[in-house]
Amino acid sequence: MPFVCGLALLFTGSNRLRRPLAGLGAAGVIAGALALACPGLPGSVAQLPVSPEAVHRGMLAVEVAISLYLLVVSVRARLPLVGALVLAQAALLLPLELGGAHPAAEVSRYLVLDQLSALLALIIGVIGGLVCLYAIDYMQEFHVTHHPEMRDGRRAFFAILFVFLGAMFGLVFSNVLTWIYFFWEITTLCSFWLIGYKGTEESQRNARRALVMNLTGGLAFAGAIFALAHGGGPLELDRLVAAKPALALLPVALLAFAGLTKSAQLPFSSWLLGAMVAPTPVSALLHSSTMVNAGVYLILRVAPVLQGTAAGLLVALVGGLTFLLTSLAAITASDAKKVLAYSTIANLGLIVLCGGIGTHEAVWAGVLLIVFHAIAKGLLFLCVGVVEHKLHSRNIDDMTGLVLKMPRVSVMLQIGMAGMFLAPFGMLISKYAVLRAVLDSMPLLAVVIVFGSAATLFFWIKWMGVLLVVTQPHANVEKEIGVCKWSALYALSALTFGTCMLFPLLSAHLVEPYVKAQYHLAQFTALGEGNLILMVIMLGLVSLFPLSFLNYGRNVKVADPYLGGANARSGVQFTGSLGDDRDMSMQNYYLSSMLPESKMMSAGVILAGLLLAALLLKVVVP
Amino acid sequence: MSGLQKSPWVIHYDASSCNGCDIEVLACLTPGFDVERFGIINTGNPKHADIFLVTGSVNERNREVVRNIYDQMPEPKAVVALGICACTGGIFRECYNVAGGIDAVIPVDVYVPGCAVRPEAIIDGVVRALGILEVRRAALAADSAAADTMLIQRATAADLPEILAVQKVAFQSEAEIYGDTSLPALRQSLADITADFQRMLVLKGVVNGKIVASIRGYDDGQGTAHLQRLCVLPYFRGRRLGLRLIQAIEKEFPKARRFEIFTGHRSHTNLHIYGKLGYTTFKTEPYTANIQRVYMEKSAP
Amino acid sequence: MSPWWRLLIYLVGAPLLGGLLAGIDRKLSARMQARIGPPLLQPFYDVAKLLSKERMVVRRSQSFYIVFFFLFTVFTGALFFCGSDLLMVFFALTLSGIFFVLGAYKASSPYSFIGASRELIQMMAYEPAVLLTAVGLYMVTHTFSVHVIAAQPTMPVLLLPGVFAALMYAMEIKFRKSPFDLATSHHAHQELVRGITTEFSGPVLALIEVAHWYENVMLLGWIFLFFSVHWAVGLACTAAAFFLLLVVDNVCARVKWQFALRSAWQITLIFGCGNILVLWLLEVFGILNLNP
Repeated sequence: MPFVCGLALLFTGSNRLRRPLAGLGAAGVIAGALALACPGLPGSVAQLPVSPEAVHRGMLAVEVAISLYLLVVSVRARLPLVGALVLAQAALLLPLELGGAHPAAEVSRYLVLDQLSALLALIIGVIGGLVCLYAIDYMQEFHVTHHPEMRDGRRAFFAILFVFLGAMFGLVFSNVLTWIYFFWEITTLCSFWLIGYKGTEESQRNARRALVMNLTGGLAFAGAIFALAHGGGPLELDRLVAAKPALALLPVALLAFAGLTKSAQLPFSSWLLGAMVAPTPVSALLHSSTMVNAGVYLILRVAPVLQGTAAGLLVALVGGLTFLLTSLAAITASDAKKVLAYSTIANLGLIVLCGGIGTHEAVWAGVLLIVFHAIAKGLLFLCVGVVEHKLHSRNIDDMTGLVLKMPRVSVMLQIGMAGMFLAPFGMLISKYAVLRAVLDSMPLLAVVIVFGSAATLFFWIKWMGVLLVVTQPHANVEKEIGVCKWSALYALSALTFGTCMLFPLLSAHLVEPYVKAQYHLAQFTALGEGNLILMVIMLGLVSLFPLSFLNYGRNVKVADPYLGGANARSGVQFTGSLGDDRDMSMQNYYLSSMLPESKMMSAGVILAGLLLAALLLKVVVP
Repeated sequence: MSGLQKSPWVIHYDASSCNGCDIEVLACLTPGFDVERFGIINTGNPKHADIFLVTGSVNERNREVVRNIYDQMPEPKAVVALGICACTGGIFRECYNVAGGIDAVIPVDVYVPGCAVRPEAIIDGVVRALGILEVRRAALAADSAAADTMLIQRATAADLPEILAVQKVAFQSEAEIYGDTSLPALRQSLADITADFQRMLVLKGVVNGKIVASIRGYDDGQGTAHLQRLCVLPYFRGRRLGLRLIQAIEKEFPKARRFEIFTGHRSHTNLHIYGKLGYTTFKTEPYTANIQRVYMEKSAP
Repeated sequence: MSPWWRLLIYLVGAPLLGGLLAGIDRKLSARMQARIGPPLLQPFYDVAKLLSKERMVVRRSQSFYIVFFFLFTVFTGALFFCGSDLLMVFFALTLSGIFFVLGAYKASSPYSFIGASRELIQMMAYEPAVLLTAVGLYMVTHTFSVHVIAAQPTMPVLLLPGVFAALMYAMEIKFRKSPFDLATSHHAHQELVRGITTEFSGPVLALIEVAHWYENVMLLGWIFLFFSVHWAVGLACTAAAFFLLLVVDNVCARVKWQFALRSAWQITLIFGCGNILVLWLLEVFGILNLNP
């Protein structure tokens, strides 16, 4: 129900009014998403208030407007590539939309309201709403305290944010491919605007790169629609998924290609890495929790078609390769946002792997991965944003003593990190399921998962350890964090924990029914009874950990750390060889000589490019 | 036979030795003498060690280091001075930079002379230290059991060095709370505490003949008794010893109309104890960037 | 035997067995070095002594991480011996290892910091081999359940020699033996003082030691799984594997962490993945039928 889109489009508010309006908007979004998901899902059509024809015409008009705007941008920024892509897309689709037999006339179901849509709508609504809430305070501080010299574009910022949310809702609820394409392009545009928000040379460069890559994906999408229209195939998603493989494979492969660009898989990963220049709410919303989920959502939707095919295997290989290489690259990163970006791409790679394999177990794992990743990653990005504002640094090594400087935030960071990969939290359940699914279909893929998972362990714990190190007293700077930010952070932390505890319910009511329906299974229990109980026990044990601070070691003797006996007056200094007092300093391993980041990424780009070329060849040449 | 005697772990430090004695220590670890058959392991870490083997004499460079390593060893511990330089300073005794043997800095339990000390003598010395360790461990356990029968007595001038040592160990935990080791309690010298003793009343808590706690107080002549430097050894905390000391010293000032005591704003245990005894906060003053002093008062009954 | 009995036997017997194994380890190593060596029960004396020492910490909360490390190690071992899911066991063991590392980070001292970083590198080095064990065993037996795997009619090692070789390489790392005792080491090896255990003393160190005993017993159980056709055969082969680990320990010197990481991954890739590849190819070409 893109009613939020409407709400958002009204949203060009003024400065003072913005705060309560944005808050209300965020609350409305969350409430709407919850209201949709909770009462029983009919799983099928919902009636449109407006006639389809009018909607089509409206969309066409907006699309033409977007294309013209992008052409202008390409001319002004001297980016022929953008212009070429836009023109190519227009060439493919305009004849379709304007010309004769309007394919949309045969559509019977415009909207889809099944469990997957509901789940994603929940994610978009709740996380999106919370991020917007957080953004209110964050942007205030951003402009007033940190960057007074920058142009205050907050009015447009929030408007675009809500437009984006509306577009995402539209995306997950549409059943017609042309509509999905419409919303897809809107999200591309929003991303372009938001990345370039700061207006600096670097931001604009990265925004343009994002635009080019996402437009390439859009081109593939357009190609898919074109192929379907000319091949006489259905333009509806659900009918496409149920159609014969011979008919559906080419469009589905092209759709998968589009999904790969949107989710920043190799060889398209550089746009997401570059997009980290944007303000943190943008990173949290677009580039970790919601927009990139659009790509993997599409791939998961079409996964049943990819099952067992060589095309599916190639897609899975791209995902797996991405997972492995970006996990290794994350080890070498010391900028917190870069680590988060790499880890996002890695997790999306894992989901793409699930989609490529396409079995019901894999899709189950993939859906759960989306859920847990979105929540935890959103939380982590928001925490990093707060830390950056207070400590003026994004470097991991500067976050020592965070447990003293910002105790609550450091705990939330730890919850987020634990949620990303630790048993018994959700991601681990998903990883377990992925391994199982892989082993049942294509065991060699397990190799990439196994190596990548070892790498993720390293960089998360390295960061978590740095948070705990305390070498000197620090003042607590948490008090200046605003209430909007706190509410968002608390809510997300509670969600991370809550979804892990309630994951059996989640799985039973939302994910398993979807999987059963898609694959026409009578019975499906994803995780055995025993394992579920285990997970709950482990979660319980881990939750006992905070209680340990009650008995804070009364009769222990506190000593200095061992510095070879040369401890100076202060516990963290030692007497150097010339008799002066020197500071102790500790740095982590970044393994940059063993894992040369640029070489690995270049190798990845080439390999993935080859895989994608093979994919296209395979489907185009039958 | 307790574990201590069967598993003495050793830390070996060369203070200013010519390395002759050190080579002999290492020879003990070789198959020829094989001290591991007694369970002896040469850990390089004072926190894991029971016996401190020191060679060489003490000079300005290693005085603090020897003290530091000794302090970082958990109780019960023993010190063995190996070689004549560690015992008395050896042939370097009269040098301008040599302060003497190891006992110039830390209490030594076993002296093993020799130049260089022979491995058999080293092993013999360690075995003697084992006996001492066992006695010490039993004493510690007995102290722990006897903590409830702590005697509270007025301190004499002869007790001051021991009280100063207890103070320094006890206030380490305060230093850790605030991350500041320049607290006045930790910096006080023997001369300062003797000056304090002239004008203040000092009470000591004694368990099995050892001072484990202390408190000071003075009357400022205007009806208020100021209480300070309450310290209890960490081993004996959590047993109401601090409470009893405060109650005892309050009785020592019958003419005072009001009692005043202070502590740091993050010392929650202290604040809790004082609160239980009826003290209330009346003033908070910043003391350093990280520490605020909380002053609490109570009227005399 | 019902799982509850097995649980009880594990909880009570594993530290005894683990301590005895540690004692045998030290005795055999001493004999290999032409020494007499400590008595067999020495590790128990060590733990008894540590329990009687004073409690000393650098940061007050560091001990709690160790308590949870202990808890989860015991939990994981109990899971394994009660016959539950092997992959879950591996992931739970990772969790316990992480608590250990975090405790050392918390101690905020240079030696424990580097020790913790090296321990992380060690974990990264052996994790692929360990997970590939689960993968390989699943391919051969189509289940992750330890209970079922242990009841196989044929020895899994016959089909999984490469995976077993990779696992043995990883075991050398997991048992913290030369050439891979990078993070900390038993006995007298010192490079980073005591590495990850530098700032732990007294009862906490005793807890770490006992947790390692529980873990070692479980690790030997993993080796047993490969030979599980008959309990006597399995025990004998496990003992032989343990002896092999001891010999390598006494023969090799410690390597640099770069070599440890690189070689572990290379061995896992060549032998472990190679094994899986061969198995998969054999199945695809119909030569081998692995379906139960």
